[in-house]
Amino acid sequence: MTDLAKTYVVRFTLQQRIEHFVTMAVFALLCLTGLPQKFYQATWAHSLIELFGGIDRTRWIHRFCGVVLAVSTVVHFANASLTMLSKKIGFTMVPDRRDFEDAVLQLKFYLGMTDKHPHYDRYDYKQKFEYWGLVFGNVIMVVTGFILFFPVQFASLVPGQIIPAAKVAHSNEGLMAFFVITIWHIFNAHLNPDVFPFDGSMFTGKISRERMVHEHPLELARMEGRPAEDHGGHLPPNAPGREVG
Amino acid sequence: MRKYALSLFVLLAAPPALAGIPAEQEDCLGCHSDPTQTFDLPSGEKLPLFVDQEKFAKSVHGEALRCTDCHTDKTSDHATGKLEFRTRREVTIKYYEQCKGCHFANYTKTLDGVHYAVMSKGNKAAALCVDCHGAHDISHPGQPRTRISQSCGRCHQKEAAIYAQSVHGRASETNPDVPVCTDCHRAHDTTDPRDGALAMRTPELCGRCHGDEKLMKRYNLSTSVVSTYLSDFHGMSASFQRGQKKADGKRLAAVCTDCHGVHDIQKADDPQSKVMSANLQRTCAKCHQGASASFPRAWLSHYEPSMEKAPLVWLVQLFYRFMIPFMVGGLLLQIALHLWRVVVNR
Repeated sequence: MTDLAKTYVVRFTLQQRIEHFVTMAVFALLCLTGLPQKFYQATWAHSLIELFGGIDRTRWIHRFCGVVLAVSTVVHFANASLTMLSKKIGFTMVPDRRDFEDAVLQLKFYLGMTDKHPHYDRYDYKQKFEYWGLVFGNVIMVVTGFILFFPVQFASLVPGQIIPAAKVAHSNEGLMAFFVITIWHIFNAHLNPDVFPFDGSMFTGKISRERMVHEHPLELARMEGRPAEDHGGHLPPNAPGREVG
Repeated sequence: MRKYALSLFVLLAAPPALAGIPAEQEDCLGCHSDPTQTFDLPSGEKLPLFVDQEKFAKSVHGEALRCTDCHTDKTSDHATGKLEFRTRREVTIKYYEQCKGCHFANYTKTLDGVHYAVMSKGNKAAALCVDCHGAHDISHPGQPRTRISQSCGRCHQKEAAIYAQSVHGRASETNPDVPVCTDCHRAHDTTDPRDGALAMRTPELCGRCHGDEKLMKRYNLSTSVVSTYLSDFHGMSASFQRGQKKADGKRLAAVCTDCHGVHDIQKADDPQSKVMSANLQRTCAKCHQGASASFPRAWLSHYEPSMEKAPLVWLVQLFYRFMIPFMVGGLLLQIALHLWRVVVNR
């Protein structure tokens, strides 16, 4: 028997890893330069702003990172649309009914109501939720960010009240994104007992076969052209294993 | 101790007509009581040698000081016909140090003030103790309060005239609550407003009164002007720029005076006011070039967002007030359940 933990499967392309790295770096910088502006009364906020060289420099760093994030979002979607149109990959990130069923089953499992653990494909519902949360969050942050960047120009196109509303949305959405990442993403990628202390797959691009068996059995089965084993979780109607077994 | 001794001395020795003035003053007043007596200075000015006894008696020092307490260099034989001074101003400047002996704290403060700074750069006209307080006729400077602005106005005529027309200046004659010059500029360590440091302190300065609930209630004014300013873009930026100077060419966040004016502040509903709605677009455009007619609506006029004043802002705020706890709570709950299951299954 081969040592499963030492056999690797390629999970992320170089481009996906670069996209993740860029998003991670600018997200961190956006939080570091944005949150002190929201909590302007706190002492730590003043120290942080000073560290960046004053409020004006901090804002330029923030705007620069915002533009990078906006561009990377556009590039990501252009790329994803092109790849999907050329049928190289399927709609692996698009949520469907199964994700809701998976979520319900997973919660039942957590609550001890069932022994069945859902079997996931390439992305589980938590990952899809985080992905689309980031996408919608990005859209809100980029749009409101540009409104705040060019208030005079926007006010000549839309009612003036949009600007303070954009500020409230930007500041709250930003805080929420910060919480989601620090609580949810850090848990799933670091503190989760399955991957503790660090899930390196997003940086190396590789994932152990053992983890694939546990976390993405459906994808693994498809990759290896065999039916998925039934570990108790239910299978989707069109899953590779369905017709055979 | 000296004060009591002096009082006793006055009680016992003063002739009734001159009650209040120590008897030994008579030595000086023997010469200095002729209203026409002057000394010709080299500058051509005439230095009056007359001391108005009545005025001095009524002054705050009337019962406390003797002539030689301030004129320490004068002995009984000083009338030699010679003086070291060329101008009257030189005489005044010479006596600058004399107040220090008793009023040390305030004297020291003046060393940090703009008047002293200007004086030491050679401007002899800069105000000294006696320019504001008077000399032989010193009385309490803030009684009545309007006297303070009048004193400053003797030199700063242009500013005083503008202030007199403002909402504060017009009320200052009858109202003890409104600020006079020294409330913002300070009295002894008067700040130099030209370097822009004072401007950056206006949120705090104006906030001293406009954030005072009890005081503002008297005039039906809202104290949330300060908090709404601080929580908005300008105020937040200004709080990070505290200590910086709003000098020419340096673009810092708008503070109170940038919109409301400085000495010419008017009520917000006064047609003259820079923040009156009809004038607001022009005021915004001072910094925001090309501001359109709808741009001032981006500012909520010191109102907290509400359904009536700014429904869109209020609704967005409300949405997140529920959304953030719901989202964070939901995620934490799932993490807790996940960990609980891991522990149970172990």
